[in-house]
Amino acid sequence: MSILEAHDLRRTFTTTTGVLRRNRKEVEAVRGVSFAIEPGELFGLLGPNGAGKTTTIKMLITLLLPTSGSATILGLDVVRDAREVRRQIGYVFGGDRGLYERLSALDNLRYFAELYAVPARDQRARIGELLELVGLTGREKERVEGFSRGMRQRLHIARGLLHDPALLFLDEPSIGIDPVGARELRQTIAGLRDQGKTILLTTHYMFEADELCDRIAVIRTGELVAQGTPAQLKARVTAGSVVEVETFSGVGETDVRGRVGVVGALAGVRSVVVDDGAVGETLVVQVEPGADVTAAVLGALRGIRVGRVVTREPTLEDAYVQLVSS
Amino acid sequence: MTGRHEVGARQGGIPAARRGGIRAAWRVLTVGGVISFRGLFNWLNPYIYVPTMLVSPIFQILLFVYIGRSAGVGSDSFYLIGNAVQYASIPCLFAMANTIAGERWMQTLGIVLSTPANRVALFIGRSLPVIANGWFVATFSLFAGARVLGVDLPVSAWPGIALTIAIASASCTGLGLLQAALALRVRSTAVLSNVVFGVLLVFTGTNVALDTVPEWMASAGRLMPLTHAIEACREIVAGASLSAVAPLLLREAGLGAVFAVLGLAALRWVEAQSRRHATLELQ
Repeated sequence: MSILEAHDLRRTFTTTTGVLRRNRKEVEAVRGVSFAIEPGELFGLLGPNGAGKTTTIKMLITLLLPTSGSATILGLDVVRDAREVRRQIGYVFGGDRGLYERLSALDNLRYFAELYAVPARDQRARIGELLELVGLTGREKERVEGFSRGMRQRLHIARGLLHDPALLFLDEPSIGIDPVGARELRQTIAGLRDQGKTILLTTHYMFEADELCDRIAVIRTGELVAQGTPAQLKARVTAGSVVEVETFSGVGETDVRGRVGVVGALAGVRSVVVDDGAVGETLVVQVEPGADVTAAVLGALRGIRVGRVVTREPTLEDAYVQLVSS
Repeated sequence: MTGRHEVGARQGGIPAARRGGIRAAWRVLTVGGVISFRGLFNWLNPYIYVPTMLVSPIFQILLFVYIGRSAGVGSDSFYLIGNAVQYASIPCLFAMANTIAGERWMQTLGIVLSTPANRVALFIGRSLPVIANGWFVATFSLFAGARVLGVDLPVSAWPGIALTIAIASASCTGLGLLQAALALRVRSTAVLSNVVFGVLLVFTGTNVALDTVPEWMASAGRLMPLTHAIEACREIVAGASLSAVAPLLLREAGLGAVFAVLGLAALRWVEAQSRRHATLELQ
């Protein structure tokens, strides 16, 4: 039996604007998402901001009711059996909030141990094990307000594991963490995977998903657009190449963003994305196998100052970019 | 699965799972209540606590006592008792709102609500330290105010006073629980707490006896926490026995219980609404 099964999950939000004349608007945040997670699997849910990752997670962890569709965790329905589901899951989100700042790490863990009904006689040993696991042994008596973002995130993970959940949700855990902290966090998550813990991880970072996940689903505007192992997703774009053109936009006619449509319409071009840099931009052009579009792309950019032009092999990140931007 | 999910063994007629649930709820109520109070009530810092909880009530007492003296109405004792007991509303309203609605600022609300913890134990547990704090603040205010003003409060009256203030604090915390649910929804704790504090100051007979205000104000006051406790406290200091003021104390406790039940129902409603309409920004 799968640990988690989601069938055609949908969630619509109604927003209103105006005071006297209320305008109602319906937003479909999640539009028919279906997937399953097997025991011991580290499953990645990838997508850009606003794609529906967190809304999907909130439905799965019982904080939000689906508009339609269903989901079960260990056979328990996330709507009907919410309290039982909560016993079986752990939930960790990214960012530097979500902990009681004035309390020590130990008190934070003790509090959540009580909320998860960890027996009093087991708490000390369990908290000790988890502090060791996340590398916070010796810092447990310090107030959380003095912790770095990376330390907070590792404490979050320890909190999420207090009751030894069957399924751990990690919602963008590495967001905003410096490279060293993010690497330590990935090591912690890899350690959990190696111990056989079932995890659902959401992230923007393709390399993180590539390094950690057994399977990945890519979500775009509320819909899953691809599912598979990292190798399977890479295979979708390995045939072909990527042309990167460094540009320095002006305003109006000389803004590279205004040329995306033109470049995208060129023969042999699969997709086009503009990445903003510190001083300029990079136009990332995915190209069909065998096509040479460099000259045509530069022609389409006439009038815009162009810097370095590079042709390279596609990466998993390119696969992701193609999936979420096509 | 852990032992707490087993349902087989019975002891004293209670299934093991139920016993485990009761034990867990008890710990959430007691241990959890104290930890979360420490984590969320940020006035516990001495630089905030001493001026707000221990010094300010003395000023409030002095203000009304001297107004009473200059106007030639009421005794020092009348204003001292009224304002000291009424000041319990500061810790009871503000602390209760902070310890529940504060989860939203800490962004811990989503995590707390994604736990299986018994919600009644979770929220009532947070109210117990609030009640104790309210009791301490009002009792200290009464004692210190009496010393400053030279008002004689008989030693024999203190047990009755202590019990009355405890009931007043519990009752006012019940109202605080209801207000906390509203604060969670409207995203503001201080505004609502200040308004309620002002209403209690005017309507509970703190400084103006209820028999001298318009009937509608007196009627409204009798439906509010603190009114009956302030009256009971004044009677105890005047020499009444506990049994004589028992009806007042029962009414005070009853009102507190009604507000607490309303507060818990409101919190349950807010949580259910949030699941339906994503109204709490749970992260």
